[in-house]
Formats: sequence, structure tokens, C-alpha cells
Amino acid sequence: MLKSTFKFLALTLLASTSLALAAETSADVSKLANEVRTKGWIAFPARSAAGDWDLFLMRSDGSERRNITNTPNINESYPLFSRDGSRLLFRRLPKSETIDGNRYGDQGVPVIAKANGTDPKELGKEGDLPWASWSSDGKKFACLSLKGISFVDAETGKTLRTLKRNGFFQQLIWSPDGKWLSGVSNAFGAGWMVARMNVETGEANAVSQQDNCTPDWFPDSKRMIFSNRHASDVSLGKTGWTQLWMADPDGQHLQLVYAEDGRHIYGGHISPDGNYVLFTGNPQEDGDPANGGAPMALMRVADAPILGKETPTLRKLHPNAKTGPVLPLPAGWEPCWTAAEITFAK
Amino acid sequence: MLDRSGNHLCQMKLHHLILIALAFIGLTACEKKSAAAAAPDPHLATQGTIEVTARLLEIPEGAIFQRDLYDYAAILKYEVVTVHRGSLEKGTTIYIGHYNPTKPRSEAADKRVKDLGGNLRQFRTGDLHHMALETPMDEHYLGGIVDKYFGKHQGPTHWAVWTDLEK
Repeated sequence: MLKSTFKFLALTLLASTSLALAAETSADVSKLANEVRTKGWIAFPARSAAGDWDLFLMRSDGSERRNITNTPNINESYPLFSRDGSRLLFRRLPKSETIDGNRYGDQGVPVIAKANGTDPKELGKEGDLPWASWSSDGKKFACLSLKGISFVDAETGKTLRTLKRNGFFQQLIWSPDGKWLSGVSNAFGAGWMVARMNVETGEANAVSQQDNCTPDWFPDSKRMIFSNRHASDVSLGKTGWTQLWMADPDGQHLQLVYAEDGRHIYGGHISPDGNYVLFTGNPQEDGDPANGGAPMALMRVADAPILGKETPTLRKLHPNAKTGPVLPLPAGWEPCWTAAEITFAK
Repeated sequence: MLDRSGNHLCQMKLHHLILIALAFIGLTACEKKSAAAAAPDPHLATQGTIEVTARLLEIPEGAIFQRDLYDYAAILKYEVVTVHRGSLEKGTTIYIGHYNPTKPRSEAADKRVKDLGGNLRQFRTGDLHHMALETPMDEHYLGGIVDKYFGKHQGPTHWAVWTDLEK
């Protein structure tokens, strides 16, 4: 097993030449891989050999990758582990339908399965449970639609309570402590702005003042991570490269996590222990779900900020940033990480 | 020779008469067609809860931009010129959200936002737009909004369902 793991890592490293890790040695990267190998499983959608999108599981170091849906005529996307890691929520959509970076939470049919992908059950019809996100106890979903935010019993599908959506329009994620929702809102002056909402009162605040999206929570619910279209290139008349940032949910202590001119960084997801961050990055916007997704990677939160590619503008803005280590992982899109041990039938 | 040329003359007169008749029929048809073209599109009267003709006062810098993967609505500022339906007042300044503003209105709808339309191909400051509107916008649209007037105006933002260029 160890031998095959190292073989996989070596191949992954060779194949992922797009990642700019020149300043870090492969020994640093191997050390990082060893650190995370036993820290659970990552679920992610990726293109299968048949050309559709299937769901895959892999160890946190990229080893033991396996297709858990194997549905050549159907696409699956947006996997979300329940917080205890026992179940997996995802969307199932026709193979002919392109996964849309702004609609993936309401595309297709919601499906729930065991964490290893077995025993899948459809939870409704096309568009049902839009942007569903697990409650901390796994008994409810928070959903987001034009009508508002609804809290739905995961067992019966009954709506228990609703809130005004307060400008939230996509990428709803319930915090691990159950007290907050994060999402992307249009109510704070920018077109796409990561915001936080109090689950009880519905009051919301902006987390960052620039265009940003794909928020996720640290396990203590006291910090958030998100993609941020930073102004460094925009000021030069370009559209800029999307970077990964983190902040307190009230917007304080905004800090760069990872930036690389030439690649848009999306899909930020924090490890269950809060020590690592998983993301995707490629030249196409949104992680390129219309094609093959994007190479994934992970790094230590403690190593932030990291510049994936040395450019004068970025270095001037972040003089103390490191250049790695970053562990390259296979191509995927919007990954999710659980610490739970997942077993498979032989 | 005379007979022949006389016949020729008769034939020419007949041809002229036919041509004149055809031209008359053509002109009448064109008039009917242009009258039909000038009639407001029926969607304007049936869609939304408000129908106005309004002048586009400005297009703020950065309000309309091309970015393929980011569908958004831009908020534009108008002065109401004529109220056809609804409770707005002539002369009022209103703010209207237009989805996918870089596209002709007939091509703006997509899977996320359906039932949009109109003959407007491009937004130009000073143009008059005949529009069917819904209000407030956030009850009808779920998506990114580029609002260069954010925090600078009171009252609801309207949502453009149908937008024709008024000539």
C-alpha cells in the first residue's frame, strides 16, 4: 500500500506541471503528503473515462482514488459530506447538461447516499432542495431559492422554517456550529459578495468588500475561506486572477491564503481539523466545470500566504509570502473533505 | 409597321398600368406592415405589473461589462416619460435591473432567468425604452447584481421583463 501511495504521488507530481512550485523541493511536498494521508477522505466530481462527471473519493494525499458512482449516462456534482461523514449529498443531472459554476446547487436532482456512494436515494425532482447544505447534526438542510432560505427536515422533506434571503443567491453553507449560514449575496454593493447570516434572526453582514464567492467555514465556525477577485490586476485594466482568502466572519483579519497569477483559485475547503486547505486552480473561470475541472491542490493553513508563482506585483503586495509547499492533486471540482473513515465493499 | 408599333404602344401602356398597380399594392402592403411594426409588442401589456416608456439617463462606468461565465444584472437609471400601466409617475427617476446587459434583449434569457425579451439590441444613454417591469427586483431575480448606485437611492429597484427600443 505504501509503495503504491508513493508511486501515485510521484506520478501526480510529474503530471501537475501547471503548479508552480519551483521554490519548494519535492521532499517538502512529500512531507506534506505524509502528513495528510491518514486524515480522511476527499470527495470530488471529475470527468470519468466515459466522458461524464462522476463522483470520486481519494485519500487526502490523492492516493486510493476511486469512482463511487460509475454512471456513464449521468453527471454527478457538488458532493457534500454530512458533518459526521456518514452520508453524502450531491446533485444528479443529465449527461447532456453542463455543470454551471453559478447554478450547480440547484441543477438536477438532489441525491443522498452513504459516504462511500452506495445506496443512493433521490430526494425529490429537478431543482428540489436548491443549494441544500447539511445542519451540524445531519437532521436538516438549509436551502436557498428566490422565495427565501428554508430549513428542511432531511428525513421527511418538510419545510420547518423560512427566512428572507437578504440578497443571498448562491453557495449556501451552514456553519459547523449551526449558528450561521454563509453564501454569496448581492445586498452589499458588489455583484458577488461573501456574506454571513444569523440562522435565528436572518441578520446578515458582508465578509469581504470585493467580488468574491465559494465560501466555506473553518471547523470552529470562527473563520471563513473564500475566493476573491482581487484588485491587483483589475487596476491594470484586466479582469484579475481569483485568489483564495480567509477572514473572520465579521470581515476582520482578512488574509491571503493562496494566489497565483495565471490561475483562478476556487473551491476552497478546509480540512476537518482546520489545519489544511484544499482548492482548485486553472486558467479558466469557476474551476472550468464545463470541461475537465481544474487541478486540485492542498496546503497547510499555517503556511499561508503562499504565492504559487512569483510575480513582482504579488510579491510587492505580499512580501512575506511563502512559495510552498503545495501538494498537487488530480483534476476535479468543488471538493469536500471528511475526517471519517470510509469503508468499501470488496 | 403602324399596326405593329400601335400594338407595341398598347402593350407598353398595359405594362405601365400593371407596374403602377403593383407599386400601389406594394405601397399599401408596406404601410400596413409599418403600421404593424409600430404597434407595441403585446408582451409589454401582458408581462410584469408596470409598463412605462422611460429615458436611459446614463450608463455608469463598469456597470456593463463582458465576462462570459458571469451572468449578472446591471442597474440602470431612467426618467419615466410615459406611464402606460402601474403606479409610477411621469418624471420620476427609477432604477431598473437588466439581466445579461451585454446581450440583445431577445437573447438575454437563459436557464436561470426565463421569460425576458424585447427588440432592444444595445443600451445607449439617451434612448427611450418601452418596458414591462416587475417590482421589487429581488422577488424576481436570484443572481449577481452590478449596482453602481448602491446606497445612493431610495425605493425599490425594478426588474425589466420586456424592453423595446422606442423610435
